[in-house]
Amino acid sequence: MTVPAIRLDHVGKSFALDGGKQFTALSDIDLSIGKGEFVALLGPSGCGKSTILRLVAALEAPSTGKVSIEGADPQALSRSHRLGVAFQDHALLPWLDVRANVALPFQVAGKKVDSARVAELIRLVGLSGFEKARPRQLSGGMRQRASIARALALQPEVLLLDEPFGALDAVTRRQMNVELQRIWSAQRITTLLVTHSVDEALFLADRVIVMSGRPGRIIRDITVPFERPRKPSVMRDPAFHQLVDELTLALEPEGEAE
Amino acid sequence: MTARSDGLQRFLLGLVGIGLFLGMWQVIGVYRLAGLTWPPLTDVLVFVADPSKRTLFARAITASFIAVVTGYGIGVIAGIALAMLGRVATVLKPGLDRLIAVIHAIPLVALAPLFMVAANRDSTPASIAALGVFYMIYVATTSGLNAASAAHRDVFTALGASPVTRFLRLELPAALPDIVSGMKLAIPVAFIGAIVGEWFGASRGLGLLMVSAMQNFQIPLLWSAVLIVTASSLALFGLMSLVERLTYGRYQ
Ligand SMILES: Nc1ncnc2c1ncn2[C@@H]1O[C@H](COP(=O)(O)OP(=O)(O)OP(=O)(O)O)[C@@H](O)[C@H]1O
Ligand SMILES: [Mg+2]
Repeated sequence: MTVPAIRLDHVGKSFALDGGKQFTALSDIDLSIGKGEFVALLGPSGCGKSTILRLVAALEAPSTGKVSIEGADPQALSRSHRLGVAFQDHALLPWLDVRANVALPFQVAGKKVDSARVAELIRLVGLSGFEKARPRQLSGGMRQRASIARALALQPEVLLLDEPFGALDAVTRRQMNVELQRIWSAQRITTLLVTHSVDEALFLADRVIVMSGRPGRIIRDITVPFERPRKPSVMRDPAFHQLVDELTLALEPEGEAE
Repeated sequence: MTARSDGLQRFLLGLVGIGLFLGMWQVIGVYRLAGLTWPPLTDVLVFVADPSKRTLFARAITASFIAVVTGYGIGVIAGIALAMLGRVATVLKPGLDRLIAVIHAIPLVALAPLFMVAANRDSTPASIAALGVFYMIYVATTSGLNAASAAHRDVFTALGASPVTRFLRLELPAALPDIVSGMKLAIPVAFIGAIVGEWFGASRGLGLLMVSAMQNFQIPLLWSAVLIVTASSLALFGLMSLVERLTYGRYQ
């Protein structure tokens, strides 16, 4: 096998709490993601999904084990501007309008801003007409979409999305899922998506990883069998329903025990 | 809509407050409630507006304003520059902080005589103003440069920002609200510095006017000088409050 795009080699992460105690957020996470693979992370709140993303983005260092990206240190990826991240809390800069926020990665990378690409991304996430709006003038869902556009700006090799559609209504969420699949299919970005929606995970991902909490560990690793490109109608497939049931069960506290 | 009417209400209440204050000044003065040294407001206004005093006031105002503006300008620029230096050259930061804290711990008034002998006596007001303003701006800028949120820092790290890019595109814009607040609070400091500096014997200025009016018991002149200084300081403070509101609206 070739070198995986993302590799978490028996990774553990603990945080020092006030009072000197250690809190184990992740224990023995072993995960390999192939180049161009789309992996979804499911799990209860607080099980360490965001922490995994932060480890891959080199925003945290593992306490045990090793994280590598294409065999190299994960910092190499962000340093060479090949990483796209949309954080759970959008983190747009309040003093820049939508267009400038989406263009920020170009400026940070010292590249000329590709205005056509910026405009195209804003259109893709459905924010046309809001180019000049500041983040505070947008709804939560619109901010999330702007932050996805920013993550995609430089055509990254690795894309990390932390509950990017959490604040969207069902219809917009579906539209965004379709768009995201289209973008991913066109560029085959290695993608790690955190979501609380089983439907979304199954619709978008090649593989779904289910985690349980305290300490966070992987309890399931399911390959999604559906053909691509997937149409929303795949969600009416009986096989889809069966996987939804299986994953939902795995997510329930009793599901851990089996 | 409600925010606007709230703002209007605050503004009107502010006007009522100022009106009450001026009214009380007038009443106390007219009925001599605080003795002979408290003239009614109208007497002071008549005195300030008296054409024969025009050159006297113009000369003093010009001198004091040049001292305030020079001191304020130098203080602001030096404060921002040194805070940035401390940020960029982190080795210097602890030493810089300590040095500036020590300078600040010395009462400015105690330094005035030193300035008189060490520097030109006419540059003492601006120097004292600059020192006070510098300290405020240094502290405001230093804390402002730490104001960027952890989430925003993460964005820049994930995007692979160089330290220079991070500074220019994140830390500096995030510091602006604190810097502008510092600049607002530094306005009365600049006035105090300049006036105190002039008391120590500058050859012109409103501070000098106050001292000589006091020594010669020229009560209306004394009050006029105080009124001019206070009104100018308040007006500029109000202007900076407006700038501060705009900055907060945009940068936070
Ligand atoms: N910097 C930190 N210091 C201490 N504890 C932390 C820190 N970051 C995360 N944790 C803890 O690690 C655990 C996992 O956090 P994480 O944010 O990864 O959860 P999550 O799976 O993303 O949850 P959610 O679905 O609610 O976003 C939590 O219990 C959290 O309290
Ligand atoms: Mg999370």
